[in-house]
Order: sequence, then C-alpha cells, then structure tokens
Amino acid sequence: MAWRFLLAILIGGVCYLDRTAACQLMLHRPLVVATLMGAVFGNMAAGAQVGVVLELIFLARLPVGASIPPDDTGAAVFGGSAAAIASSSIGLDAGSFTAVLLLSVVVAEAGKAADRFVRKVNVRIARITAESVDRGDVKAVEHGLLAGLTLFAVTGMLLALVFSGAGVAVSKEVLPRFGPASRVSFSILLPALPLLGAASVYSCSRTERTAAVFFLTMATVFCATVLFRWPV
Amino acid sequence: MTMPELGKRSRNAVWRRQFLLQGCWNYEGMQNVGFAYAILPALREFYANRPEEALKAVKRHLEFFNTQPAMGALILGASVRLEQRVAAGEADPRAIGTFKVGLMGSLGAIGDSFFWGALRPMASVAGALLALLHPLLGIAALLLIYNGGHLTLRRRGFVAGMEGPEGVVGWLKRVSLSIRTDDRKLLAAILAGAYAGVFAGRFFAQGGGAPHALAALLLAAAAVHLFSVLFRKAVSPSEILSFLLFVGVLILWR
Repeated sequence: MAWRFLLAILIGGVCYLDRTAACQLMLHRPLVVATLMGAVFGNMAAGAQVGVVLELIFLARLPVGASIPPDDTGAAVFGGSAAAIASSSIGLDAGSFTAVLLLSVVVAEAGKAADRFVRKVNVRIARITAESVDRGDVKAVEHGLLAGLTLFAVTGMLLALVFSGAGVAVSKEVLPRFGPASRVSFSILLPALPLLGAASVYSCSRTERTAAVFFLTMATVFCATVLFRWPV
Repeated sequence: MTMPELGKRSRNAVWRRQFLLQGCWNYEGMQNVGFAYAILPALREFYANRPEEALKAVKRHLEFFNTQPAMGALILGASVRLEQRVAAGEADPRAIGTFKVGLMGSLGAIGDSFFWGALRPMASVAGALLALLHPLLGIAALLLIYNGGHLTLRRRGFVAGMEGPEGVVGWLKRVSLSIRTDDRKLLAAILAGAYAGVFAGRFFAQGGGAPHALAALLLAAAAVHLFSVLFRKAVSPSEILSFLLFVGVLILWR
C-alpha cells in the first residue's frame, strides 16, 4: 500500500501545480485525477465513474479575480481512491458511490481553505522578494517564484496524501459499517448528482440561445436512451 | 540610442516562463512575482550593461498584476515590446504600467468568460460523456479540446503582443473572442443537455411505460432548472451537496 500512496503523492503534486501555479493544462480536472487515483488504488474504472460526475459539479464556481473555487482536485483524489478501494472490498454499489460523492464536498472545502492559506503565505514571499529587489538583488525574483512554486507543490503533495488516506479510510472503515439496506436507501440521492453537474454547465454557459437547446437535447437523448436502450 | 534586439533564446525563455505566471500567486500583488519572473530574460538582454535601469525595470513589473493566465501571454508579449522601446529611449517607462493596468482588467474579463465560462465547460462535458465509453477516451477528449484552443490562443496572443500594443488591438479584433465564447457556450449547453439526458434515462426510466418515462423526464428537467436557479441566486454547489449529505444522514438516521 505504501507505494500506492507514494504514487498518489507524486500525481497529486503535479495536478495541484497545474491547478494554479503552473500551466493550467487541465491535468487537475476531476476526470483526470479521479481516474488516475482509481488506477493507483486498483480500479481505474471505479475512479473514472466518480470523475465523470465530479467533473461538472463545481464548474459553476469560476476562479475569477481573487475568488477561490472549491478544491475539486482534492475531491477527485478522495473520490477516486475511495471508489477504487470500495470496489475491491464491499463493492461500489449505488449507495457507496453516492456516499463517496457527497463526502467529497467536505474535502473540497478543506482543500479550498488550504489553497487560501498558501496564497496568504505567498504574500510574505512576494514582500521578501520585493525587499530583496529594492536592495539590488534581481535574482530574488527567480528565488521568490521558486519558493511559491515549491509551496504550491508541497501543499499539493500533502493534500493528496491526506485526501487519498481519507478515501481509503472511509472505504475500509466507514462504508462497511452500513448494511446493504442502509446503502440502498442512501442511493436515492444519486440521480440528483449528475443533474447538479449538468445544471452547473448549463448555468455557466447560459445565453439567450442555450436554454431551449439544452432542454431539447436533454429530451432527445433521454428518449433515445429509453426507447433504443443505448448502451451507455 | 539604438533599439536593443531580443535574441531567440530570451524570447523562448519568456514564452516558457509565462506558464508560471501564477507560480507565486498571492493576495497582495497577485501575479506580480510571476510576471516579473517571466519578463526577466528580456530585461536582462535589454539592459545588459545598465544594472540600475534593469533594477528599475524589474521593480516596475513587481507592481500589482492580475489577469486570466492565458491572456497574460498577450500582455506579457506587448510589455516586452514596450520595454524594448523604453530601453531604446523611445518610450516613457510609465507607459508600461499604464498599459498593463489598462489591459489586465478587460482582458481578464474576456479571458474568464472564454476560458472558464465556455471552453472549459465544453471540454469537461465532452470528456465526461466520452468517458462513459472509456475513461481514457474521455481524458484525451478533455485535454485535447481544452488545450487545442488554450495553447493556440496563448501562442498567437504572445506573438501578437510582441508586435506591440498596436498588434494587441489588431489581434483582439481578428480573434473575435466574444463570438467564439458564444459558440462554445452553445456547444457546452448541447453537450450538457446530452449528459443530463443520458443520466436521467439511466436513473429515472428503469422500467415502467410511457407515462412513467415522461414523468421522469419532467422531474429531471425540473431538478436541473431548480439547481440552475439556485446557482443564479449565488448558492454554491458545495452548499447544495452539503444539504444533500444532510438529507442522506437523515435517511440513515430513520
């Protein structure tokens, strides 16, 4: 298990760097992260299932100006690892799947708080950089940026360790405590989650033209899924 | 004073470094350290034998700066060109600060709307739909759709910026981001509709006849509408998820 956590830490570090500090190539998106975490913890498909739902849910919160959206990367680390472990122990039934997705909100908010903390520490780094430049040390700019990057990376690695550990713990210790009947009753909430994701995209892509198009496509695909039993 | 040249090596270094624009993002200067870091290779070349002026130039770029990171490439390219003119004595150094402040807000708003509000949702929902067929297909689609647009605009913006402020204006007219934003939002809405339809079909319409399916579709559409109204009222996804978690706990309690 130790090498799995090591891998999770490395992947988490890269993905968290991509999230804010470097590149923004979307390697930090829940679909990517949850699938990778699923693969690391033994079941890529289970991780991807979580990623498909988490991918859209938090899109309605844009990283505009100084506002920080919930940490969907952390939610995916937690969800991907928890789903993979659950699938190999109690099985990833609808109730466990719903529980993993709903618990990921706690992780997303914790990750957001950590992100805010890093940006506050960076204020100090930026001030030290400016003071060093005032004293004539131009290289301080490069050192300051390296310090900021390191802080983002180390925090990302720590969060990846904590969140993947939490995912494993939830799947091994918490979910099995609830019997199959409890899990089935919990799964009643599952249909709301992908619809929440679709609403998230719909609300951030809303223009005059999109409302009709959205609901028309939804109805068409729904009918096709029901009538022709599309294998999705 | 002759116009100092920017070597290919320094130009490439500036291009590479702009990917770290947010490397030291902070609540005070926001992207200031990242911007100064990115433009540093150009400043070193322009003020090769003038350390005092180099220092002043670096301080200029440690002022507050914040914009959408992909649009930062455009401002960075134009700032390099302006610094070149300042180093040649053809422009006032204060023009750089005015230019950056004038552009970062408006380009930030345009970039946020295009990248975060249109391109990313479109790529995400396309990826999520294709991931239902195979996870790796979904990931490939997400990364290719987003980065195809993102990296192209970054590169073209940087090149246009390097032509100077005039190049920025011309490029912004040519690229017509508002039309692209609307198109991608429409595509995102179509794909999101398909996504909602797939899951509604999966969950709601298992068994039962036509009336049951119609009721299921209406229920799903009403749920999407309700959530979007809540988003419009500034309720966050986390708050909705927390409420659902609370409901789940109540169900278990019962």
